[in-house]
Amino acid sequence: MADAIFLALSVITIGSAIAALEMRSLIYGSIALMGTLGGIAGFFLLLDSPFVAMFQLAVYVGSIAVLILFTVMLVKRELIFKKVEDKRRKFVGIALMLVFMVALGSIIMNSGIKTITTDEPAVDFRNIGADFLTYYWPALILMALILTGSVTGALILARREDVENDQRTD
Amino acid sequence: MSVIAPNFKFSEFVKSILDNVFWILLIFVLIGLPAVFIILFYIEMPVINGELLTPFLALTWLADPSRTLPILKAFMTTDLFKIAAFPGFGFAALIAAGTIFIERKMLAKLQLRVGPFYCGKFEGILQLMGDGLKLISKEIIIPAKADKPIFWAAPILFVATAAAFVALIPVAPGWVVADVDVGLIAVFAIIGFFPIITILSAWSSNSKFPFIGGIRALHQMVSFEIPLILSLLGVVILTGTLNLSEIVASQSNFPWIVFLPIGAIIFFITILAELERIPFDLPEAESEIVAGWLTEFSGMIYGLVQLGTYLKLYAFAALFVVLFLGGWSGPMIWPPFPEEIITDGIVMGPITAKIPGLPVFSQEMLNSVLWFIIKTVGVIFFILLPRGVFPRIRIDMLLSLGWYKLIGLAFVNIFIALGLLYAGVLGPGGIL
Repeated sequence: MADAIFLALSVITIGSAIAALEMRSLIYGSIALMGTLGGIAGFFLLLDSPFVAMFQLAVYVGSIAVLILFTVMLVKRELIFKKVEDKRRKFVGIALMLVFMVALGSIIMNSGIKTITTDEPAVDFRNIGADFLTYYWPALILMALILTGSVTGALILARREDVENDQRTD
Repeated sequence: MSVIAPNFKFSEFVKSILDNVFWILLIFVLIGLPAVFIILFYIEMPVINGELLTPFLALTWLADPSRTLPILKAFMTTDLFKIAAFPGFGFAALIAAGTIFIERKMLAKLQLRVGPFYCGKFEGILQLMGDGLKLISKEIIIPAKADKPIFWAAPILFVATAAAFVALIPVAPGWVVADVDVGLIAVFAIIGFFPIITILSAWSSNSKFPFIGGIRALHQMVSFEIPLILSLLGVVILTGTLNLSEIVASQSNFPWIVFLPIGAIIFFITILAELERIPFDLPEAESEIVAGWLTEFSGMIYGLVQLGTYLKLYAFAALFVVLFLGGWSGPMIWPPFPEEIITDGIVMGPITAKIPGLPVFSQEMLNSVLWFIIKTVGVIFFILLPRGVFPRIRIDMLLSLGWYKLIGLAFVNIFIALGLLYAGVLGPGGIL
């Protein structure tokens, strides 16, 4: 049963990833991207970590895909999309992808993933939180600082004081 | 003689109805019943009165009343019943339908109008049914240059997402469709799908007004999701769990609104914005952009979107009840089931009818559901109320409210929760 679900998820994820690259329509491409991200959430569910899966859905499908969709809708299509195709680029891209896949695969296969016992109980998300606050606290602080910096930067960039509206009364 | 159908003959009308009945019966006997029995051979059957219910005995409840209630009770424990009827879709759709009627009547009373009045003789109670029949029978018109697959899929996806949201709400102890450990995070994940569906349907209709409405809806929903999530973290910090049933169970003594009123207020305001209700109904602003992102919808497509909207309203109100008002907990006000009916049966003169399998629901469950419905209806009332009172606000005011004020207040709420936790008042090991 789990194998059938795994196969179906793999087909959906990889298929929609290819569709996201190859689709002519940008909107359908971003919908296919949502399919890919949702398929990855499905993998997390299969791996007994629903917490990560739900965050994958909430953050990637719920926010990042929405941002991409929003950008695509507001941008003029002709500016970023040329119909002239470069065959050589495509082949080089596929070759590069194969090289990366082989390299990553060999690294993962040699990393001791085969010796992991699979019948252990799933990791409770409370333990992840506790680890973040105890052993990995420098990483947490660093992440918080980076995120705060980026949010502050975004607010400063988005702020426009030169625009004055005479109709405003407030 | 009727003007609409001049060649109408009553005898032919009766004949056509009898024809239909005949064919339906024939097809049911030849195809329907065998199909039902084939399915029954494959699904797992319950044990009734110490005897396994085989497909051969599946219809005995029609003749043997002593088996009816046990079979009904066995059916009510199945997932199908939970998803389709009681804590799931059917129950929520019933409350949604009631909400639509109450909203129309109440708004009319608030604005010194009459509201639905003629349909159904008494205060227009059949108005809703009439509207539903009208929507079902209307033609579905699709704009010529619309993107058809997305245009068709969006309303169905909208209802499906709202139903998935409803499935996470616990109504009574044990009465929840999906009792997951990460219930609240799942709620956040599901809420994140609504803006996608909205903007896709708005874009797919290839029309100005829906697109403007969709962009507004996207702005509004995305910016109010953040204070929504932050305002609920206080409850999570104090209870130490994300499971909605456990959050309700932690409020048996007092609801969290007592200690986290700021969080409750922020959550209520974000509910109004997520549901696109007045004063935040910019995506459907009917006086500026026709009907916003719903402009091009007609017929049952519009009906599905309305159903999804009101399911979402029920789910958000129920979430407010679950997180801040104590869910199903409340004093026992439901009367106990009379013992003599179970022991002696119902005595009607010379006849005594003994009905095994009673009571169908326990007193505790009925009491829980009653309290849950009372609280949810109260919250829905407060969600409907601003519509009769407030005007629509501008989009820049809306965004500054969401991004500056509500997020700041949500952090204040989190610090209140942390203060209560570290002072040892509440939470695990607290004095209360």
